[in-house]
Amino acid sequence: MVTIYLVVPVLVVIALVQATVMPHVAVWGIFPDLPVLLVSSWGLLRGPGEGAVWGFIAGAALDLLSGAPFGAATLALIAVGATAGLAKGSALQAHVALPLLTVFLASILYDLVFLFVLRVAGDTVVWVDSFVRIILPSAVLNAVLIPPVLGLMRWLDNRYLREEMEW
Amino acid sequence: MNRERLQNLIPVLLILVALAGFVLQRTGMLTSVEGLLVQASTPLQKAMSQAVTRFGEMSQTVRDLRDLRQRNEELEAENANLLLEIVRLKEIEHEVVLLRDLLNFAQAQPSLEIEGARVVGRVIGRDPSNLQRYITLDIGQEDGIAHNMPVVTERGLVGRISQVGPGWSRVLLIIDASSSVNALTQSTRASGSIQGQPDGTLVMHSILQGDVVSVGDTVFTSGLGGNFPRQILIGQIVEVERKDYELYQSAIVEPTVDFEHLEAVLIITDFEPIEDTTEEKQ
Repeated sequence: MVTIYLVVPVLVVIALVQATVMPHVAVWGIFPDLPVLLVSSWGLLRGPGEGAVWGFIAGAALDLLSGAPFGAATLALIAVGATAGLAKGSALQAHVALPLLTVFLASILYDLVFLFVLRVAGDTVVWVDSFVRIILPSAVLNAVLIPPVLGLMRWLDNRYLREEMEW
Repeated sequence: MNRERLQNLIPVLLILVALAGFVLQRTGMLTSVEGLLVQASTPLQKAMSQAVTRFGEMSQTVRDLRDLRQRNEELEAENANLLLEIVRLKEIEHEVVLLRDLLNFAQAQPSLEIEGARVVGRVIGRDPSNLQRYITLDIGQEDGIAHNMPVVTERGLVGRISQVGPGWSRVLLIIDASSSVNALTQSTRASGSIQGQPDGTLVMHSILQGDVVSVGDTVFTSGLGGNFPRQILIGQIVEVERKDYELYQSAIVEPTVDFEHLEAVLIITDFEPIEDTTEEKQ
């Protein structure tokens, strides 16, 4: 049974891992976005509703650990979860490339929404450089990492989390 | 309302809640709750950070063993050169102290009073996003840390305190794209503004075309604007970009601080920055 009481601590720990462990495993200065991978996996498996809920929880936890204004990661991850969830009912659902493409686009969406919120809050945003040097490489890295993450989430879903999320 | 319609409404409701959180934080109404939650997560962050550091040290030791022999020879040669350099620098230091007393140099150099007022903070977390460059420290208001205090290491300028709670504080690094620091080159006194880039490098903008800027020159804080003390080392110029048709030239600056491996920093507590009234962070 997946309850909100289980999902919240799990996603808070993932946010902590993202803030403390992931910067140490950076590849050419870019590190994987674990919350993006988990939220988009869940969206792909369970649809936009549950994807958005996971995005909200993981995003709120990230916002507390980040120097960004509250809402930046939350809004970005809600968008990621809902967008990835839209792929669930697609005709290409069984195609092996669908998760890669979904996460590639979801990762770009995450970073663009994040930067947009920073801009609204008055921060300086270097759009083109950020897109070329960070957003695109980060999207590629996340897409490369999605097969094992999605495999793990699918296994957990089948083994333990079959029911819909309870409130 | 059926279950499917409710499911469709969830993302919209969550976006509204997130927007409300954004507005509450911008108006300062979320500060106490946020502080409380960050305070609660600090021990966890600290424990994880320590575990990662220990693991990193172990794997580093294994890697180091491989090229230990070669490095040993190189270090012995370097050591001999450094000993000579130390003797030379001690002579210069003696001379500087003498001249400083004669010219009442200390009065004009507040940086000399800074040393006794620094607080050492340990880095316990970094920003979870690739798009921002922040670090979290395990000291805060209880240790006398306040907003906008400059943060340095023995190698140079790190950034400025951007958020502070009772037992934690967050530092906006100078390599963040929203950071800007007024700077001066050491040899030619060319002034400009150092800004962070998305890839973590530094660019010195707004250098007058007539100013001489050369590769290898070191760059310090100028103290202009009152946000940072003067003469804190920032980095070294590695490339100059000059176009005749432009008003200003720019230079790429290699920071002296190794931002990827920051473990401890110093906070200058007796410097009073001029409060920033604009929307910019630095």
